[in-house]
Amino acid sequence: MIPKLCLLLACSALTCAAQSQKVFPYEYSQEDLPNGLRLITVPTDFANIVATYIVVQTGSRNEVEPGHTGFAHLFEHLMFRGTAKFPPAKYNEALNRIGASSNASTDDDLTMYHTTFSKEDLDAVLAMEADRFQHLKYAEPEFKTESLAVLGEYNKNSASPFSKLNEVLHDTAYDKHTYKHTTMGFLKDIQDMPNQYEYSLKFFDRYYRPEYTTIIVVGDVKAKAVRAMVDKYWGEWKRGNYKPEIPVEPAQDGARKAHVDWPSPTLPIVAIAYKGPAYNDATKETAALDALSSLAFSNTSDLYQKLVVQEQKADSLGANSPGSVDAGMFEIVARVKKAEDMDYVRDRILETVKAFQEKAVDTAKLDIVRKRLRYQLALSMDNSDTIAQILSYYVALRRTPETMNSLYDQFAKLTPQDVQQAAAKWLVEKGRTTVTLTGPGGAK
Amino acid sequence: MKLLSGVLVLAACATAQMRTVTMPGKSPLVTFRIVFTTGSAADPADKPGLANLTAMMIADGGTKDLTYKQVEDALFPIASSVNAQVDKEMTMFGGATHVDNLGEYYKLLRGRLLTPGWREDDFRRVKDDAINAIKVSLRGNNDEELGKEALYESIYAGTPYGHLNAGTVSALEKITLDDMKAFYKSQYAQSQLIIGIAGGYTPEFLAAMKKDFAALPATAGTRPRISAPSAVEKSRMVIVDKDTRSVAFSLGYPIEVTRGKPDYAALLLVSSYLGQHRMSSGVLYDRMREKRGLNYGDYAYIEYFPRGMFLMEPQPNLARHQQIFQVWIRPVEPPTAKFALRLAMFELDKLHKNGLTQAQFDGAREFLGKFVNVLTRTKRAELGYAIDSMFYGTPPYNEYLKTQLSKLTLAEVNRVIKQYIRTDRMVIAAVTKNGEELKKELASDAPSPMTYNSPKPQEITEEDKLVVKWPLGFKLEDIKVRPVAEVFQ
Repeated sequence: MIPKLCLLLACSALTCAAQSQKVFPYEYSQEDLPNGLRLITVPTDFANIVATYIVVQTGSRNEVEPGHTGFAHLFEHLMFRGTAKFPPAKYNEALNRIGASSNASTDDDLTMYHTTFSKEDLDAVLAMEADRFQHLKYAEPEFKTESLAVLGEYNKNSASPFSKLNEVLHDTAYDKHTYKHTTMGFLKDIQDMPNQYEYSLKFFDRYYRPEYTTIIVVGDVKAKAVRAMVDKYWGEWKRGNYKPEIPVEPAQDGARKAHVDWPSPTLPIVAIAYKGPAYNDATKETAALDALSSLAFSNTSDLYQKLVVQEQKADSLGANSPGSVDAGMFEIVARVKKAEDMDYVRDRILETVKAFQEKAVDTAKLDIVRKRLRYQLALSMDNSDTIAQILSYYVALRRTPETMNSLYDQFAKLTPQDVQQAAAKWLVEKGRTTVTLTGPGGAK
Repeated sequence: MKLLSGVLVLAACATAQMRTVTMPGKSPLVTFRIVFTTGSAADPADKPGLANLTAMMIADGGTKDLTYKQVEDALFPIASSVNAQVDKEMTMFGGATHVDNLGEYYKLLRGRLLTPGWREDDFRRVKDDAINAIKVSLRGNNDEELGKEALYESIYAGTPYGHLNAGTVSALEKITLDDMKAFYKSQYAQSQLIIGIAGGYTPEFLAAMKKDFAALPATAGTRPRISAPSAVEKSRMVIVDKDTRSVAFSLGYPIEVTRGKPDYAALLLVSSYLGQHRMSSGVLYDRMREKRGLNYGDYAYIEYFPRGMFLMEPQPNLARHQQIFQVWIRPVEPPTAKFALRLAMFELDKLHKNGLTQAQFDGAREFLGKFVNVLTRTKRAELGYAIDSMFYGTPPYNEYLKTQLSKLTLAEVNRVIKQYIRTDRMVIAAVTKNGEELKKELASDAPSPMTYNSPKPQEITEEDKLVVKWPLGFKLEDIKVRPVAEVFQ
């Protein structure tokens, strides 16, 4: 079912590196319509099912005007408010007939609308999606009601201390750039959303345009037939001309700290984040930091073994490397069992960072990470839906599956010195933000 | 071992053998779902959580020959893992690997399942994790799941289903390694084993695997007798009191319908119409969120569905002989809590009285007939559903559901609605701040006027006139407020 990948994985990591084969194993077509809309079609052998993922390269990053955070995410909701041709009841009725699994999500750099269904309904799905992307229509009362559902979403998220920690981390670390706010947006802006109907129309007019949009179709399909349907339903969509001026984040000039007092009992959390680079598949930096997150903080790392397995002072430890359109953060998060151990855990994390800056890892360890990454990808691509989902995140960054291949080529070329240099360049004190969170009275 | 319900049956019979569900194919991946038809219903009365802790120890510990670190070091490069899921009557160990690494992975899987390490340091870590899963992840960080589990605990009190799968904090603190070894020896038997495997393995591989698993005891020591919970004679409510922003509700009552029973497809259709999980098509979603903006979503269920806030679709291998009908109201702003609860009741009552129209019936049936293909689109899911079908004694799920749906009539579905959908004799769980205040509010017949931030159509304002005074019928003595620290303690 995944023949190319199978062959690829049969070779050793080093051989793979030399051969530089493509990690995305499927033949795909990538075409641009004259209006700027991009179509990526990936036929697979998984029978009967088709997944469409429509990626709009607009996320919380695009929310450039003060007081209007959370609008990209709000549209994830509003897009289900219907059109003249398909009012919500009719849209739901049609989706029901199709028996589709359908939803949407928003992140820093994208809003994504996905539907998974039986192949005979592809034409109907593409027609309905085209209609709402081009003719979304909602009146002010419905807008006001939907903005309350967003508040409801904030409310249900607010039970998790990790949501609050993330909010405070971004707010503390960034001064100008829109990554200062999370995708949900600031609570005060969410509460004010009902009053922002006119602004919402402007936001839609700016970003829901073909040049921001890529349609990914994966599954039991033929590329030519898909193109014909997309031409038919999406060909008339008008190109826009808005380009946001995303504020440039000034270089951070010193370590920052913040603390969250969580109102109910929870385990303390320590988060240490460093300003990192923007996603880049043309250099080794993105790959090097990703490898570093794995080498230094995954569950087979020395630090994890020490803190979680042997000493059992923390019950979780992990790191995320930056992978966003603009400069993101390298984030290390540990949940600690006792408040009195928070400083200890923080210091061990900092020591680990220092150690990776001072000494290159063994090549053998890096090879293990490389091997894992490739198998991880192979194991995750076991159905059309997940393949489309994985692609959508890369498409948000570079609008082509080819960026996956380029990034994995960088992994293949990576040396222990590259990882060391990335640690030394980016995980520095002046770019660091530490946020701690404790419940009442510290640990409970 | 003390007995939970007081009645256990000897799992018996000389003919009991392990069973297999196999799906050989050309995929370069091999997927495992190894299920023991035992779970937290088999926990001894004084050791709730033992089944879950035992499975965690196996899936997240070392083996007889390898330490935890050695196992994890070996799994890391092949990007594989062994995960465990424990419910009342099923314990599932799952994992997948690339055929390149099948031999290597299987050795680790076999080591964990057949020769667990039972090391003291693994035990301390796993036990801490289990306790924190209750104290922090459930009680502290997830009001919605907390409400749902509080509902289940109340409904099933006094039966083998009557405790949280993870157990209670105080019981977990006392469980010993010897308890786990005894549970393993008693429950991990061939008679309760279903080996599920899919993908690019060979017949020889499967034969060798079966031979390995034949090392397990032939039959289980004891099995709980699963009994129906007491009928809910009168509506009651439990309010979990904690410092939180909003109010989460879950409500329901036991039903005798499970997969394989005659009314399964009809009732599934009704719950899908009322509130298909995480979809905008359900009536509750439409009336509560879409039309009134009360919260993020509202759904209905006839089968146990944990972790719904993280999952778009149900997970297989949570098969049960007892189920409840459940409505999930996602967190609402405190001033609208009483109205939201009344509205949910109003909609249930409307459904009970009016039933479905032909068009509503046709739409829901068409949806489910196709959606079942989406549910089983991965090998992992297909394998899981096939194991559940073996448990319930039904044909493969897709075929079973499509056949049952095709036989349904509107009259039959409306009969099922009359029989199973009700607003009285309901158990309600709420999670909120200031629980005593909510208790007083809900026990009063006072109207709960609703104001909106935008004009509403006449249809809604007229309906609201009925909703605001919908009789909830609670008296103070029907509502119990529990501080969160007590729940699952």
